[in-house]
Amino acid sequence: MLNTFASRGLIKLELVRALRNRKFLFFSVLYPSVLFLIIAGGSGTTDKVDGTGLTVATYMMVSMASFGALTAVLMGNSERIAKEREGGWVRQLRLTTLPGHGYVLAKTASAAVVSLPSIVVVFVVAATVKDVRLDAWQWLALTGAIWAGSLVFAALGVAIGYLATGDAVRPITMITYFGLSMLGGLWMPTTTFPQWLQDIAKWLPTHAYAALGQAIEQSRAPHAQDLAVLAVSFVLFAGGAAWLYRKDTLKA
Amino acid sequence: MTTTAPVVAFDQVSKAYGEVRAVDGLDLTLRPGETVALLGPNGAGKSTTLDLLLGLKQPDSGSVRLFGTGPREAIVAGRVGAMLQSGGMMDEVTVAELVRLACDLHPKPYRPTEVLSRAGIAQIADRKVNKLSGGQAQRVRFALATAGDSDLIVLDEPTTGMDVTTRQAFWATMREQADQGRTVLFATHYLEEADAIADRVLVLHRGRLLADGTAAEIKAKAGARRIAFDLEGTIDEGPLRALPFLTSIDISGQTVRIQSTDADATVHALYGLGVYPRNLEVAGLGLEQAFVAITEAEEARTSC
Repeated sequence: MLNTFASRGLIKLELVRALRNRKFLFFSVLYPSVLFLIIAGGSGTTDKVDGTGLTVATYMMVSMASFGALTAVLMGNSERIAKEREGGWVRQLRLTTLPGHGYVLAKTASAAVVSLPSIVVVFVVAATVKDVRLDAWQWLALTGAIWAGSLVFAALGVAIGYLATGDAVRPITMITYFGLSMLGGLWMPTTTFPQWLQDIAKWLPTHAYAALGQAIEQSRAPHAQDLAVLAVSFVLFAGGAAWLYRKDTLKA
Repeated sequence: MTTTAPVVAFDQVSKAYGEVRAVDGLDLTLRPGETVALLGPNGAGKSTTLDLLLGLKQPDSGSVRLFGTGPREAIVAGRVGAMLQSGGMMDEVTVAELVRLACDLHPKPYRPTEVLSRAGIAQIADRKVNKLSGGQAQRVRFALATAGDSDLIVLDEPTTGMDVTTRQAFWATMREQADQGRTVLFATHYLEEADAIADRVLVLHRGRLLADGTAAEIKAKAGARRIAFDLEGTIDEGPLRALPFLTSIDISGQTVRIQSTDADATVHALYGLGVYPRNLEVAGLGLEQAFVAITEAEEARTSC
């Protein structure tokens, strides 16, 4: 009980810090909406994305909400963890009652709190500016699915934070972030890619992530392949993060 | 059972990094209420010893017990407060927020305002942690180490980056902690601090304990007291060099400086030479000189 309480103190402080960081808030909460307006802003109400039956605005809304959540959980944490590991803050925390996993838990929880508004803001902008209309259950399911799915990338962020140090962590995070966003089709539908690239893209967790939301918009069950890609990615990233974390702890 | 167990017990603890034996068969027991200074040249194994003590590193062999349990258990029980040398801190949060977190994390916490004022950082409570001077940051680290009612306080180079006034204020605070019956262990390279504050001094060298006792005992172990006096006229070096218990002699002008392992006997023999020493002074070695003497003797012994 005590330890849960202890973790809560750190979660609260992580959150206070995240909300204080304007640059981070802009890029994770507002930037996806801005990008949504740039990409979908000029599209007509009847413009469809090939083979989906969804309008460009509806389709891109999910892409950008997923992108925003990805930004919130991946960008902040990987670099912070690497920096705090090097600076000795992680060591200092190990001299407290905070359980070892409490640090990672606090980081993930605070990222999850920031990722929720980044999803909702895109939805609100899409609904008010581009008249995207869905059933109530779809809005709720979309929010839940995109929010829960962001855990996959939160685990990836933690893994990168424990994998890389110093100057290496930023480029690695950036390459991963942009690579996953672009190739996964968060910025433009993968149907516009050449076939060989589409064949690669459909195995990326970001593609599966957005496909989950688009399935909800189409009122159909998600593809088994997408669920499998997300599940395997989560196991891989979380397992990797746990392994790297343990290695780091032994090294002290 | 835990009440009778020693505060810290190292039993034949060794830790190596590749070829280098950072800690080499260390035996060490700390008892309640002691203020203990850990001294040693760079690379003597001070940091590794503290890491082992706090459970940040695991020994290759031997055992480390705090209050009869493992280090982690003792920390979870709130019995240990520690301040690491370059202990990084969470940035972009205020001093007050960080101290509140430390209080939240302690099973027997003090009130945050209390902790802030005791560490002398109440006036910078709203400052961001990453905007502090070196000395201020050290005080914040100290506040983190004393956020609750711990029985053992471990400080690694606590006064690095502090100016003289702050350093004195810091040790005054530290003494209060010790006076309340806490055990305080600190590593330092300021020997005058160890001399003035610690009631027990440990000298670590190449991962082994070279000396363990009060500052006075360490100085005595280094041997040697200093004898200085002036002689008139031409000084005849021969008889002076033959004085008993003499370890070194330095003559400059009319002044003679001698180090002796038994000052009483040396001075007695000096008068026996029929000379008339003026301005005679007999003084002990400072802890710093004693420390240098002990570690140099060990260097000499192990290198041949």
